[in-house]
Amino acid sequence: MERLACAEIPALPLQLLLRGHPEWRRHPSAVVAEDLPQSPVLWVNAQARDGGVVPGLRYGSALAIVPDLRAAAVAPADIIRAVDAVTGRLRRFSPDIEPAQEEPGVFWLDASGLQHLHASLDRWAEGIRSDLARAGYDAVVVVGFTRFGTYAAARVARGVRVFADPDEERAAARRVLLRDLRVPPEMLDALGRLGVRTVDELLRLPAGGLLERFGAAAARLHRQASGDLWSPLAPRPAIEPVHRHLILDAPEADAQRLLFIVKHILHPLLARLASRGQALAALELRLRAGKEWSAHVIRPAAPTLDAVRLADLVRLRLETARVDAGAAPPRNAGVTEVSVECAAAPASPEQLALLAEHSARDLEAGTRAIDRLRARYGDDGVVCAVLRDGHLPEARFGWVPVTHVSAPRPRRLETQSLVRRIFARPVPLHMPADLRPATMKLKPAAAESAVAGPFIVSGGWWAVPPREDGVREAHRTYYFMEGAQGELWWAFYDQARRRWYLHGRVE
Amino acid sequence: MSYTPLWCKTHFSFLEGASSPEELIEAAGRHGLTELAVTDRDGVYGVVEAHLAARDRGVRLITGAQVTAAADVPDAPPASKARSPSPADPGPAARANDAPATISSKPVFRPGDSTVVLLAADRSGYANLCRLLTAGRLRSPKGESRVSWREVAGHAEGLVALWGGETSLLAAAGPDPDEAADVLREAFGDRLYALAARHHRDLEVSQERRLRDRAARYGLQIVAAHEVLYHTPSRRPLQDVLTCIRHGIDLPSAGTRIKPNAEHALKDAGAFATLFADDPDAVARTREIADRCAFALTELRYRYPLERLPEGTTSSAWLRTLTFAGAAERYGGRVPPEVAVQLDRELAIIGDLDYGGYFLTMHEIVQYCRAHGILCQGRGSAANSAVCYCLGITAVNPVRTDLLFERFLSRERAEPPDIDLDVQHNRREEVIQWIYETHGRDRAAMVANIIRYRFRSAVRDAGKALGLPLVALDRVAKLVWHEDAITSKLLCDAGLVPARPLHQHLVRLAAEMQDLPRHLSIHPGGFLLGHEPVSQLVPIENATMPGRTVIQWDKDSVEGIGLFKVDVLALGALSQLDIGFRLLEQDGVRTSDGRALSMATMPEGDRETYEMMSRADTIGVFQVESRAQMSMLPRLRPKTFDDLVVQISIVRPGPIVGGMVHPYLRRRAGVEPVEYPHPSLEPVLAKTLGVPIFQEQVIRIAMVAADYTPGEADQLRRDMAAWRRSGRLERHHDRLVSAMTAKGVVHEMAERVFNQIRGFGEYGFPMSHASSFALIAYASGYLKCHHHPEFTCGLLNAQPMGFYAPSTIVDDAKRHGVEVRPIDVTVSGWDCTLEPSASEPRPPERAAASPLSNAVRMGLRYVKGLAEDDGRRLVDVRTAEPFRSLDDLIRRTGLDAGSLVELAASGAFEALGVDRRTALWDARALARRRDIVLPVQVREPAPLFDGLSASEEIAWDYRASAHSTRGHPLSPMRAALREAGLPDARAVLAMRDGARVRYAGVVICRQTPGTASGVTFMTLEDESGFVNLVVWPAVMDEFARLVRTAVFLGVTGRIQRQHEIVHVIAREFWRPRLDAPRVPDVTSRNFR
Repeated sequence: MERLACAEIPALPLQLLLRGHPEWRRHPSAVVAEDLPQSPVLWVNAQARDGGVVPGLRYGSALAIVPDLRAAAVAPADIIRAVDAVTGRLRRFSPDIEPAQEEPGVFWLDASGLQHLHASLDRWAEGIRSDLARAGYDAVVVVGFTRFGTYAAARVARGVRVFADPDEERAAARRVLLRDLRVPPEMLDALGRLGVRTVDELLRLPAGGLLERFGAAAARLHRQASGDLWSPLAPRPAIEPVHRHLILDAPEADAQRLLFIVKHILHPLLARLASRGQALAALELRLRAGKEWSAHVIRPAAPTLDAVRLADLVRLRLETARVDAGAAPPRNAGVTEVSVECAAAPASPEQLALLAEHSARDLEAGTRAIDRLRARYGDDGVVCAVLRDGHLPEARFGWVPVTHVSAPRPRRLETQSLVRRIFARPVPLHMPADLRPATMKLKPAAAESAVAGPFIVSGGWWAVPPREDGVREAHRTYYFMEGAQGELWWAFYDQARRRWYLHGRVE
Repeated sequence: MSYTPLWCKTHFSFLEGASSPEELIEAAGRHGLTELAVTDRDGVYGVVEAHLAARDRGVRLITGAQVTAAADVPDAPPASKARSPSPADPGPAARANDAPATISSKPVFRPGDSTVVLLAADRSGYANLCRLLTAGRLRSPKGESRVSWREVAGHAEGLVALWGGETSLLAAAGPDPDEAADVLREAFGDRLYALAARHHRDLEVSQERRLRDRAARYGLQIVAAHEVLYHTPSRRPLQDVLTCIRHGIDLPSAGTRIKPNAEHALKDAGAFATLFADDPDAVARTREIADRCAFALTELRYRYPLERLPEGTTSSAWLRTLTFAGAAERYGGRVPPEVAVQLDRELAIIGDLDYGGYFLTMHEIVQYCRAHGILCQGRGSAANSAVCYCLGITAVNPVRTDLLFERFLSRERAEPPDIDLDVQHNRREEVIQWIYETHGRDRAAMVANIIRYRFRSAVRDAGKALGLPLVALDRVAKLVWHEDAITSKLLCDAGLVPARPLHQHLVRLAAEMQDLPRHLSIHPGGFLLGHEPVSQLVPIENATMPGRTVIQWDKDSVEGIGLFKVDVLALGALSQLDIGFRLLEQDGVRTSDGRALSMATMPEGDRETYEMMSRADTIGVFQVESRAQMSMLPRLRPKTFDDLVVQISIVRPGPIVGGMVHPYLRRRAGVEPVEYPHPSLEPVLAKTLGVPIFQEQVIRIAMVAADYTPGEADQLRRDMAAWRRSGRLERHHDRLVSAMTAKGVVHEMAERVFNQIRGFGEYGFPMSHASSFALIAYASGYLKCHHHPEFTCGLLNAQPMGFYAPSTIVDDAKRHGVEVRPIDVTVSGWDCTLEPSASEPRPPERAAASPLSNAVRMGLRYVKGLAEDDGRRLVDVRTAEPFRSLDDLIRRTGLDAGSLVELAASGAFEALGVDRRTALWDARALARRRDIVLPVQVREPAPLFDGLSASEEIAWDYRASAHSTRGHPLSPMRAALREAGLPDARAVLAMRDGARVRYAGVVICRQTPGTASGVTFMTLEDESGFVNLVVWPAVMDEFARLVRTAVFLGVTGRIQRQHEIVHVIAREFWRPRLDAPRVPDVTSRNFR
C-alpha cells in the first residue's frame, strides 16, 4: 500500500520572522501583510494570541490592544526561498516532494517503501522532524495514506504521528475542527452557523447541497475529506543547477589558457540552457587558487546564448581581476579549480535571429560595447545623467547606470543660452566670511555691474543631522560674478559653514 | 519708503498659507505697515477674521483674492443672470461631486492655468469678486475653482487686477498672452497692473524680464510685490509640510513642489524697499493701489428677504400682528398685562434694530414644520424672548421663568439674534429643501464649517510629510486621543525617540498645526438667507453632499460681520417624541380634557415622572440618561420643571470646574445655609440658592460684582465661547477677581467664580438653553413613565441617538414589564411597531392608558445587513398577500441570498415554521433556484441540524440584530455565575457601603470626561440591571488593555454608597473564566 506523509511547518512566515529576530520570541509577535496600520495581521505567536491579537485584526488595532507587539511583513520572496530550501532538505528523505501551492510550510512526501531504508516509518518521520529542527523550524510530520488525512492530522498533531491503517487516519481526520484547516473565514462562519464544526459534521452534509449553497470550494473540501477527490502526488522536479566544476591537473596561472578552459566549460552549459529554451542571464565564475576562492559575476545586458560574446566578457573580467590585487586569481600557485554556474532566463526568439538584417546605426553593437565596459569596470562602470526635481543645483540631476544604448532624441533648441558648468564638488574660496559681493572688486570700475544676485536656496531643515541618503540642511546665497577678464563665476556663501564656495562657471 | 503688501495668503488658502489672518495683521502692525491685502486662493474665507483683527490693530484691510483663470473654461452667462441650480438639479458641478465623502483641498493646477490677484476697490468690486468666485467654484470639483479670462473681465467693475507671479501668463515662457491681455486691458483699463514678484530665486530674473517686456508692450504699470505665505520665516517648515500634505507626498520627495527658500514671510518696509531698490516706483505704486482700494467689510449691508410680506404692511407691523395673534393663542385669548408689556418692549427693540424680517422668516419655517407635522423647537438664547414664544418658535415662557431678554437681543450690542431651531432629525432634510425652494438657491446657502487640525489629524498629516512610519504615527494619534498633548512618554510608547530631531519636528509641527484650517465642510444646519443674492456677500461653492451649496464663511465669520443666519439643527429626541405621540394618537390616547397628547398638551408637573427621574430610572430620557446625570438625579431629586433645568445644567464642565455642584446640593438638602457672596448678588443667585449654575448668572456677576458694562460682559461671553481657541479669557481674571474682592466677595469665592467661567468656556449651558432642553427631557420622561411601550418604540425607531445601544433599551423596557417581541417576517414592519399585549389586554375605557397594554414588535430595520428598500419591499409584498412558506417569500420578494441569510440568522423566518439553521440551509438554495421558470424538484437528503440552545439563541440574536428579545446574554450564565460566587446587579446594589465585591457583567459604557482628572466611569450590565464602576487612573493604567477591549468583564472592588447612589470602586479587573458559552459581542458606547 502506498504511504504518504505530510510535513508541516506551522506558521512558516512567523517562524521565518522569529528566526530573523530571535529576541522577539519572548514578546508578542506577529506577521503583518504590510508595515501599515490598516494592514491585516496574518500570523501571531502564542503571546500575541494571549493578549487578544488574532489573525485578521488590523495592525493598528493590534498595537492598541498589545502595545509591545513586535510585527513585520515577510517578503513573499523570502517565503519562496524558504520553501525551496526546505524542499531541498526533504529530498534527502524522499525523492518525491510536493510543497503545497496555497499554503507555505506544508509539504507532502512519498513515504512508500522508505521503512525499509529507515528501520521504520516512525524513525524516518522523526528524522525529518529532527532535520527541520536543526534548520531552525518547528515541524510536525504525519505519515498516513491520503493527502487530506495526513494534512488534517498534521494541523492538530505535535511532533510525529504515524497511522498504522487507513481507518485510523480517517477517524483522526474526521475529528479535526474545520477551523484548524485552511478553510476561508466566510465559509467557516457559514458552516459554523449550521453547527458544522468538524470534518465529520461536514461529511454528514450532502456534497451536492454544499456545492449549490457554498460553492466549489466547499464541495471540494467535502470531496477531499470524503476521499472522493484523489489526486496523485505532484512532486516538484529536482532542478539540477546548470553548472560545472573542474579540477585542473596542474595549477594554471596563464589567463589566456584559463580563458580557454572556461570556454570549454561554457559551451556545453549553453547547449543545456538552449535545450531548456533558456538563455544565460548571469554567469558566476569561481576560481580556486591555493586555499582561496575568488568569485566573479558577469551579467550581460540581456540574456544570451552567444558564446563568443560571453567569452569576451569573461576575458575582460579576468584581465581586470589580474590587475586587481584584491580579487586576483593566482599569483604563485595558479588556479587549481574552476566552477562555472549559469543563471537562466527564458530565451527570446531573437536569440536565434542570427541572420537578421542590421541597420546602419547598430544599437546592439553599442550595447555590446557597454557590456564590455561593464565587464571590465563593473556594473556601475557606465552611467548617464538624468534630471531630478530639487532646488540645490547638485540635486537637479543624478547619475544612473546604463545597460543599453538608446537612439538619441535631441530637442530642438530655440534660443542659444549660456552653459553653466557645475563642479563635482564646490571649491572653497579663501574670502572673508563677512565679505559681501557688492563690495567685491571683480571688474574694472567702469563696468556697470559685476554681480547678479543674491539668489537664496535654503531647505532640508528636516534633515538634521544629515540623512543617510545625503540630504542635509542647507542655506546658500548664490551670486553670478563677472571677473576682470569677463569670465563668469558662480559662487555661493554657505551660512552653515560660514564660508564662500565656487560652484561653477558660465560659458 | 513704506509699502503695502498686496498679495498675502492666510491659512485659509487651505494647505498653502501657514499663518492666520490675525498673525499677519499683528506682524503688519509690528512692521509699521498701515494696510495689508488678504488675497486667499480662490476665496475670501479669511477676510472676516482679518477684518476683525485689522480693526483691533488699526491696520486697514484690503479685501481680495488670488483667482485661478484658465483658457479652456467655457464662458458662463453673467452671474446675475445665471440660472442657479434647482434642488432637483444641483448643476453639473454638484453632480460631478456626488461621490467623495471627504473634501479635498488639494488644488489641481493644470497646465494652462494662470493666476491673477484681484482687489476690491469698492462695494461693487467686492460683489463682483464674490460672484466671480462663485462662478468658478460652482463649476469645479470641490476644492477647485476656475474662471475664464472673459469672466474675469466681465466682473472687472470695482476691482483692481494685479497680473503676475510665477504662475501667471504674463511672466510665463511661451507665446505672449495677447488675447488675455486684450480682454483684461479693455475691462480693467488703468486698474490693470503688472505684478513683479521677487523671492530671491534665480528663475525669477528671466520671468521678470519677460513680464516687464510684455508690460511695456501692453502699456501696463509695474507694481512690486512678493507672495506672502506666512508672517515670519520661522513658519517656513510648516508651509513646507502643508505643501507636502496638499500634494500627498513627503518632504524628501517634495523636490521643487516646496518653496526653495524662506522668502515668503511678511517683510518690513526697509527689506521690501531693498528688494526692489532698482525700481522704487513699483514700490510706491503699492500705496497708490492701496489708496484705490477703499472698500471695507463694514460696508456690507444685509437686508432680510421681505417679498412675502402682505401688501401694504411693513415687517415690524406684520411681526406685531403675528406676535399678538400668537400671544392670544398661547394665553387662551387673554394676554396677561406683564406679557403684553414685555412683548411691546421686545418688539420695539426688534423694530429699532430692523430685525423684524429675521423673526418673520423663523416664524415661516416653524409654520412650515407645524403644517407638515414636523416637530421642532427653538432653543438657545431665543428662549429668552417672549416674541419667540408667542410666534411658536420656542416653547419656554420667558416671562414665567424670568429669563433675560437682553441676553438674546440688546440695543447696545446691536448684534443679530441667534435662534437655533431643533427639528426632528428624520425630517430635517425636508425643511432644508423647503428653505432652498422658498428663497431660491441664490438667496439661501448653508453656512460652512471650517474643519481644523486637531492633535490626532495633525500628527498623522505632519508625520506622513516628515516620512515617519505610518504605524508609529497611528499609534501616536491613538495615544494622543487620551493625552491631549504629545509627551516624551507618548512618543516612547509609540516607538519614537523623543531626542531625535525628526521626532521633535513632529511635536513642534503638530502643535503649530492646532486649529489650522484643513478644509471646508458644511455646518449641520446654518443657513444664510438674503434679500439679494448671497453670492454678492460671500462666494458660494458646492458642498460634498448632493443638492447642497455652502458659503465660504463659517458661523463665527457670519456673526463677526453681523449677518443673520438661521440654524436648522437635527435632534433625534424630537423624532422619538414625534413617533411616540403618533403611536398614542393611533391608539386613541387622549389627555383628560380630550386633546391629543403632545408636548403642548401633556400634563405639567407630573409627580410620577419626577419620582421616576429621582430614582435615576432614565435610560433613554433626553439629557438625563448619561451616567453622570443618573448619578446626580437621586441627589438632586428634581420635583419641578425648574429643578429639571438645574439638573440639566449642573452636570456640565462649568459648574463642575467651578466647584459649584456640591455647595448647591448641600444647600438644597438643607445641610448648608443659603448665603450669598455679596448682598448685591442675591437677586442674581436666589434662584439657585446662592450658587451660580447658569452662564447668564456668571455674566451678571461680572456686571454686578465686578462692574462690567453690558458691552464688556458681552465680550466676556464671547471670550468664554472662544476660550479654547484664543486664550482671551485669562485677561479677565485679574479684573474680575480683584473687583469682586474689592466689593467684599471672599477671594476664594471670586476664584471659584472665575474657574467656573473657565469651565463654561469648555462647555456650559445658559438657562434659556437648558429650559428648552428641559421641556424635551420632561416630555420624554413623561412618555417613559406612562407610555413605556410607545416610548421604547419611538426610541428604537429614532436610532441612532442617545446614550445607549438598542440592546440596553430593549432590556430596560423588558425590566419595566414591556413585552418586546422578536423580528418576524410575517408581522414585523420596517420600523418597530406596537401590538396588543396578549398578557394584558388594553382596557376599553383607556384614557391615560395602562402602560403595559401594548407590546413592542421589533422591526426589520434591526436586521443587520438588510437594506431599507429590501425590508420595505418585503412588507409591501406581505401586505398584498401573506407569505405561505419560505419558498413563497423568496420567490415573491426577490431578496438576494445575503439578505435572506441575515433574516434567517435573526430568526425572522421562525413563524413560517422554519428554524434558523434549516432556514439558513434552505434560503441559500431557494434563492438560487428562484429564477428557474420550471422549477426542478431537486430532492436531496435533508440534513438534520442541531437545535440552538438558549444561550445560542441569544448569541445569534446579538449577532444578527445587535439585541435579543429572548434574554440578556448573561441570563443563561446565571447559574454558572452564581456557582462562581458572582452576584447579579440587583444584589450588588443592595450591598452595604464599604463591602468588598466581585462582579461580572457586560460592558455597555466607558467614559473618561475631561473634568474627571483621568477617572474612567464604566457601566456594566446583566439581566437584573446596571453596576456603575469608578476606575481611578492607576487602576486603569494597570488594566487598560482588558478594560478597553473586554465585552464581558470581571471586577473586584469596594462598594461606595452615598444616598441611594451605589458605585463600585474598582481595584482589579479580570476575565471571567466560566464553564459557560461565550458572551456575544455587545456594543459598548464609549465617550470622552
